[in-house]
Amino acid sequence: MPSAYGASAYIPIAIFVAVATGFALFTLVFSSLIHSEKYNKVKLEPYECGIEPTTDARDRYSIRYYLVAMLFVIFDVETVFMFPWAVIFNKLLLFGLIEMMVFIFILVVGYYYAWQKGALDWV
Amino acid sequence: MPPGVSLSDFYYILPELVLTGGALLVLIADVLLPKERRAALAWVTLLALGATAAALVPFANTHVEVAHGLLAVDRFSLFFKILFLLAAAITVLMSIRYLETEGAASPGEYYFLILCATLGMMIMAGGIDLITIMIGLETMAVSFYILAGYIKPNQRSNEAAVKYFLLGAFSLGILLYGMSLMYGLSGTTNLRVMASAFVGQEKDPRLMLAVILVVAGVGFKIAAVPFHMWAPDVYEGAPTPVTAFLSVGSKAASFAMLIRIFVEGMPSMSADWRLLFYVLSILTMTAGNIAAVTQSNVKRMLAYSSIAHAGYLLMGIVAGTARGITATLIYLMIYSFMQLGAFAVITLLRRKDVVGDELKDFSGLAFRNPFAAFAMLLFMLSLGGIPPTAGFMGKFWLFSAAIDAHYYGLAVIGVLNSAISLYYYVRIVVFMYLKKETSGSDPVITPALALVLGVTVMATLVLGVYPQLLFRVADVSARTLGVAGITAAIR
Amino acid sequence: MHFPILTSLVALPVAGAILLLLVNGDEKKSAPLARNIALVVSLLVFAETLLLWSQFNVASGEFQFVERHAWIPAFGIEYFVGVDGISLLLLVLTGFLTPLALLGSWESVQKKTKAFCIVVLLLESAMMGVFISLDLFLFYVFWDAMLVPMYFLVGIWGYERRIYAAIKFMLYTMAGSVLMLVAILGLAYAHYSAHGVYSFDVLKLYQLELTPHQQLWSFLAFALAFAIKVPLFPFHTWLPDAHVEAPTAGSVILAGVMLKMGTYGLVRFAFPLFPQAAMFFAPALAILAVIGIIYGALVAMVQPDMKKLVAYSSVSHLGFVVLGIAAMNTQGVSGAVYQMLSHGISTGGLFLIVGMLSDRRHTRLISEFGGLKKGMPHLVAAFLIVTLASIGLPGLNGFVGEFLILLGAFRWDPRLAAFAATGVILSATYMLWMFQRVNYGPVTNEKNANLPDLKPREWAVIVPIIAVSILMGVLPNLFLRPIEPAVERMLTHFHQGAPTRIQADVSPQPPAPSLRNAGSTR
Repeated sequence: MPSAYGASAYIPIAIFVAVATGFALFTLVFSSLIHSEKYNKVKLEPYECGIEPTTDARDRYSIRYYLVAMLFVIFDVETVFMFPWAVIFNKLLLFGLIEMMVFIFILVVGYYYAWQKGALDWV
Repeated sequence: MPPGVSLSDFYYILPELVLTGGALLVLIADVLLPKERRAALAWVTLLALGATAAALVPFANTHVEVAHGLLAVDRFSLFFKILFLLAAAITVLMSIRYLETEGAASPGEYYFLILCATLGMMIMAGGIDLITIMIGLETMAVSFYILAGYIKPNQRSNEAAVKYFLLGAFSLGILLYGMSLMYGLSGTTNLRVMASAFVGQEKDPRLMLAVILVVAGVGFKIAAVPFHMWAPDVYEGAPTPVTAFLSVGSKAASFAMLIRIFVEGMPSMSADWRLLFYVLSILTMTAGNIAAVTQSNVKRMLAYSSIAHAGYLLMGIVAGTARGITATLIYLMIYSFMQLGAFAVITLLRRKDVVGDELKDFSGLAFRNPFAAFAMLLFMLSLGGIPPTAGFMGKFWLFSAAIDAHYYGLAVIGVLNSAISLYYYVRIVVFMYLKKETSGSDPVITPALALVLGVTVMATLVLGVYPQLLFRVADVSARTLGVAGITAAIR
Repeated sequence: MHFPILTSLVALPVAGAILLLLVNGDEKKSAPLARNIALVVSLLVFAETLLLWSQFNVASGEFQFVERHAWIPAFGIEYFVGVDGISLLLLVLTGFLTPLALLGSWESVQKKTKAFCIVVLLLESAMMGVFISLDLFLFYVFWDAMLVPMYFLVGIWGYERRIYAAIKFMLYTMAGSVLMLVAILGLAYAHYSAHGVYSFDVLKLYQLELTPHQQLWSFLAFALAFAIKVPLFPFHTWLPDAHVEAPTAGSVILAGVMLKMGTYGLVRFAFPLFPQAAMFFAPALAILAVIGIIYGALVAMVQPDMKKLVAYSSVSHLGFVVLGIAAMNTQGVSGAVYQMLSHGISTGGLFLIVGMLSDRRHTRLISEFGGLKKGMPHLVAAFLIVTLASIGLPGLNGFVGEFLILLGAFRWDPRLAAFAATGVILSATYMLWMFQRVNYGPVTNEKNANLPDLKPREWAVIVPIIAVSILMGVLPNLFLRPIEPAVERMLTHFHQGAPTRIQADVSPQPPAPSLRNAGSTR
């Protein structure tokens, strides 16, 4: 067993790590070498999609943001399961279809519950 | 149908499927039922548990591996599943009035989470694959994180949830690291395949590291000293029925996981893990009992007592014999009844203005409610191991297992600990029977609570006098593990 | 199959307790009924013990009225009960003292009378169970189960420091007995190693060959449990507390029966199960016993509280019993068993009388009394007889036991007998001194002037005590006859297992020279 998992198997990974680290270091070092050091107010502002910031970044958000974000994450992650399923669907056939129906049914129940409990209402 | 999956696999996980369906039903019923009828949710939950229990019936003699060895349906898992369902049902019955008193908004979520936790436990008990065990563990743990913080306006409940979550996640990391080493060293996640892969590798330091990490991770879950710090705060802060379920269900499920991982997965390493558990067992019962002596909050005291009991339970694992595993199973069942009963009495004392979990709240209980006091007396005697209660029979079996495996020192420490523990159990009795009456409110026994107390009292008494049936069932369950193999290795 | 009379001894009080549960109503209404039911039940049990005695074959040393049923077959645990001469008389003693204890607390217990009666009956049941068990597991169950009612008896109906005393009693006894549990399990395991099956059957375990190592530790565990119960010096500190704080009924049962369980355990279990270890430790036990005899007597002498005085006198008297057992010869052990009964009668009587005085004056301090003779001639007369019985006056019960014990001890080691004998003198000193201060002299305290003499209920309590006391003093053979075959049987077995002292003690003519060997084994 050790031979199959020997050090040689890790060479591609080592190369990958080296390249990734090297690229990051190179970018930082190189840009710091060639850039000009002239600061002004606009330049020091946090970059926010080109829109001027209006308040401090450390502000209170409505709890609704979290709720929606959590719901998004939950359903998003669960939807991710459908991708591998789609890839081998031609092997799973009817069985796979029923399985996915059951899965989606459970999701729907959760969705329905969240909806009825007012998790999707804004106010 | 893809290769390796067959319809029979779905047949074998029928109880889990029924329970999942039941959980969804509770969730939907919570939305559909009008607000004033929501009390019926408890009965829907009980129905789901009952249906699950009925679905277990066809598998009374089954002994198969499901889905390429992801799950085992055998007597061992059956034993635990019955335990979980019983504990969950008792918890639900206990919760009805408690939730009303607390004014909890949506009991549907609560019951749903109880069912999810139960589902997780059932998967843990059946799992013979690290992945399955992990899924079960997380299903249970996440449910408990939420349940612990269920009383939102209560700061202690919030604290309990956060502490439990953080330490739970931390311990999970340790456990996962250990498991990943086990996988890396054997090339499989199936415990039974792993067992044979580890033969002859006993001296591998990486494997030792894996054993240590998994022991530590499991130690957190069963609240063994020194991995117990979360338990007192969580037990004290969580809603009382949740504490009851946590200290019984979660502990039993973790022991099932422990037995599966070590007895099924690493029998050849038994010398190492038994040594670790030996140390943990002594530390746990001694520290748990000594800390319990000074407590004035009954829930916290029972938390330390529960820690101490994890120490007693580990004695069976240390023995490592079929008798030892049997003893652990027996004691888990007996412990469930007495612990749930004790928490039911605490629930009883909960009133709008009285929390009911301080020692002084028990003052003069014998005069205010003789039945509740008698029940509590019985549970305390049973936890302390005084005959003719079930607790004595259970401890007797554990000590005998230790002696049977030549751990005389451990048995002596065990019995001395149970003498120490008597001090704080008797203290509650002192308050109930020997102190003057207080102005405390009269506890009201609802039919559901009466049922809980009736069942737990009867079990504590009957198992104390006629334990033969439980012994036989536990023995058969333990032997399905193939413990005989490691027994031979020990002797 | 004969009528399971032994089981009924355990079951009848429990049935009575259940019957009492059905008694309803407030304290005023339920109390008299509850008391009467309990009294009737306990008298029935006593009658049953007498019936048992009448049907008992006194010539045999074997166990009789044996009942045996499987209980937990997986572990070889059985419901196995039977009596021999030793346990027979202790059963009778239990049956005798329980109704008296109830009568003794007839008026002093004024709260929760129903519960009181239930607790006393449950206690009686557990005590009966201890004496009839021949399965070690069963024995342990009764042994521990006994603690709970006693705990409540002291804790609820006791005096000022009752809670402290109750907890101390419980923890002390428990600490001793849990180690015994380990030893019991070790024995069952040893039986498994030897015969392939677990067994807790005492008769089978008697035959077990144990290594010296096993014997040593097991004996220590058993002996510790029993020594705490006896209580043997220096494990006696729970006793004065429990006695002083207990209600009269509690004291009577505690001193009369429960202390005997320690010595009974030594005779029935610790010595015959581990003969070699017992032989090794016997001198140490004997020395502790002698220290207990003298220490108990000296401490008793200076007690200002009558109950405490009687409690310490128990330490002293039980020392004799242990000494007799440690001698391991016919006279010693027979005397020890006899002394167990006798101490139960006379100390029970003393506690009952102290209870009567404390009912009248609500104090037990000797200095509060004085000159009672004038006002209460009958009570004082009874007090005198019981006191003399306790001292060991010939013609009363105390004499026979102590005499036999000293004889047995002398045959073993004269030095021990010599020291122990000083205990007899000391006991006369402290008892008579106490008696004199309480009953003679001028009436110094006005409250003592017009106390009522014995009431009919108290006559009913004290007459049986005095009658039995005289009977035991005049007709000792009536009691020794069932004891001796059982003791002989035990000793024969014991000396087979521990051959070192066999020549010295079992042969009918004591060959004096070899006695020295036994003494020098220390």
